[in-house]
Amino acid sequence: MNVLTIIINWINAAILAGTPLLLATNGEILTEKSGNLNLGVEGQMYMGAVTGLAAAWLTERWFGVGGIIPLIAAVVFAFLMGCISGLIYSVLTVTLRANQNVTGLTLAIFGTGFGKFFGEVLSNEAGGYVTVGAETKHVFGNINFGNLTEIPVIGTLFFRYNWLVYFSIIVAVILGWFLNKTRKGLSLRAVGESPATADSAGINVTRYKYAATTIGGGLCGLAGMYMSMVNQKGIWVTDCVSGYGWLAIALVIFSTWSPLRAIYSSIIFGGLSVMYMRVPIPGLPRDIYMMFPYIATIIVLILTSIRQIKEHAQPASTGLNYYREER
Amino acid sequence: MQHFKKLLAILLCALFVFAVVGCGPKDPGKTDPADPSKSEDPVDPGKLSLANIKIGFVHVTDPNDMGYTYNHDLGTQKMQKELGLKDDQIINKFNTNEDQACENALRELAEQGCHIIFATSFGFEDYVLKVAKDYPNIQFCHATGYQAAGSGLKNVHNYFGKIYQARYLSGIAAGLKTKTNKLGYVAAKPFAEVISGYTAFYLGAKSVNPDVTMVVKYTGEWHDPTVEAQLAQALIDEGCDVIGQHCDSTAPATAAEAAGVFHVGYNSDMRGAAPKASLTSAIWDWSRYLVMAVNKLVAGEEIPVDWGEGLKEGVCDVSPLNDDIVAPGTADKIEEARKKMVETDWDVFTGPLVDVKGNEVVKAGETFIEPASAPSWTHILEGITVPPETLG
Repeated sequence: MNVLTIIINWINAAILAGTPLLLATNGEILTEKSGNLNLGVEGQMYMGAVTGLAAAWLTERWFGVGGIIPLIAAVVFAFLMGCISGLIYSVLTVTLRANQNVTGLTLAIFGTGFGKFFGEVLSNEAGGYVTVGAETKHVFGNINFGNLTEIPVIGTLFFRYNWLVYFSIIVAVILGWFLNKTRKGLSLRAVGESPATADSAGINVTRYKYAATTIGGGLCGLAGMYMSMVNQKGIWVTDCVSGYGWLAIALVIFSTWSPLRAIYSSIIFGGLSVMYMRVPIPGLPRDIYMMFPYIATIIVLILTSIRQIKEHAQPASTGLNYYREER
Repeated sequence: MQHFKKLLAILLCALFVFAVVGCGPKDPGKTDPADPSKSEDPVDPGKLSLANIKIGFVHVTDPNDMGYTYNHDLGTQKMQKELGLKDDQIINKFNTNEDQACENALRELAEQGCHIIFATSFGFEDYVLKVAKDYPNIQFCHATGYQAAGSGLKNVHNYFGKIYQARYLSGIAAGLKTKTNKLGYVAAKPFAEVISGYTAFYLGAKSVNPDVTMVVKYTGEWHDPTVEAQLAQALIDEGCDVIGQHCDSTAPATAAEAAGVFHVGYNSDMRGAAPKASLTSAIWDWSRYLVMAVNKLVAGEEIPVDWGEGLKEGVCDVSPLNDDIVAPGTADKIEEARKKMVETDWDVFTGPLVDVKGNEVVKAGETFIEPASAPSWTHILEGITVPPETLG
């Protein structure tokens, strides 16, 4: 096998590994732009993972259809469950003003337990283990582009993916446009930087925080669904999220709070995480390979703090709750 | 309003107290009314019998993985049926990590009154030895371990089996099916148990297809479904068209199916998970050991300190073949090899076997026999490619 093929296949695998990260990272970027530091992404992904699978499986079972309808059900319910998890976080931190770090960590633990518990319930219900039918597996598999897939290099690079890969990139582009080019995006960024200023400018801080965190949670839910429906092909496997929620939080820093930079940084991150499987470097132990994504994060952190670009920094009020009375 | 809050607080406290009482152990004198045979002879609390024995299990994952734990739990269920045990006589601790959590789980089981505890994962062994010292009257049985005999503890026992024999049979299905003559293998960790398994798998494939080679990649974990799927895809991209596995989930099977190649599993019949890819699987019947150990304990006999049986005794085998996709003649070839192992003394690691460095590790006419139940084979044979840093 020649070097080019190895690299092309590696990039393909990097994009596949990066997709759930991209979705979750964008969810977390949206959340943090409102000044909420949500550390519960792992839990939110678990909730989305089990809900998406349950929705697809139950749709198949109750209505006897496979394919596109279970897919829609999985997407809608995973997104909704992610939204609910975001709402839980918002109620606790925005309305009740609970500490954001603690709430986020609690959500991570709760969501993981939620996923594993209902995964177990589903498995018992299914009598052993849950698996969706061939048709549903197929619609979550690679899109059939016909002859396009056979073009050398380009076929593998651009046309051998499932629909969520393209969807997640579109989401990132829309989010980048929203944050940087629209009035509402500007208001949201203002809320994240200085809620008191935003408030005195007549922006409803509470509403923005709620909306951003809820929709951000929905994206994390979709990322979780990717783990169960695409990576595991619609089979419930405990631990299916495998810590990707924590990676996503690191990736927010790696992409310096920009949805567009998140696109390539998630691909780099995904690529570094699968590198040991594909690019053997003689004498280099696997454990060193496993450090690559994190070493890269540290380097980016150092670089951004040296360069001191304000646009690349964390929103100033992230992690702090807003008390209107203390203005 | 103030009064209402106080009242609510008192009510909640009361509810909590009742809930705690309600969750407590049931009256031991009560017997299951659905089971008249048991209620007639009251149990003598002083003497251990099948009616009052308590059995604990510590598992590294849960049966959802359709893998090792699932398979072991099937053994538990079979044992329960055979011995006529009630549900509350068996306590399972699932998803226990190979760290302090294992020690906690073992101590909890001991304190809950278990008479015999089975710890099923390799990394549990140190904790088993530690806890067993504190509970000399409780029997601890550890699967895949090797330290019981040398530990000096009478209540620690190891068990495993000649799973490599089943691996060899499943390798035959892979060897006949491959078109590229390149097998892939998603392995967990570079340990003897894993190496012995894939070597047997490879030898099985080679016995029917002399041109076959194999690429092995390690996930580094017994159970990391995401990495297992990615690793399987990496092997497929390298041109492997039958994927074998020694890891705990169905991810390699479904990855193989999505890529249009084939798969040979471990621990469970994976035809349900990947009907278009799963050829067969090497599986265990753990109930043989569990029933034996429990019966011996009840009868007051010694449990063997190291136990390992194989194909001949029905401890391991291959799951039913996926007739729609296996290569023609697979069943006959497997039957032939099975006969050889069951009816004669022939075993898998029969020479001449040459390792990757060109050393003859088993001479022609000789057979390597595992000295204990836990595999010790760590030679990487010619034709198998492993990550260079694991070669040592």
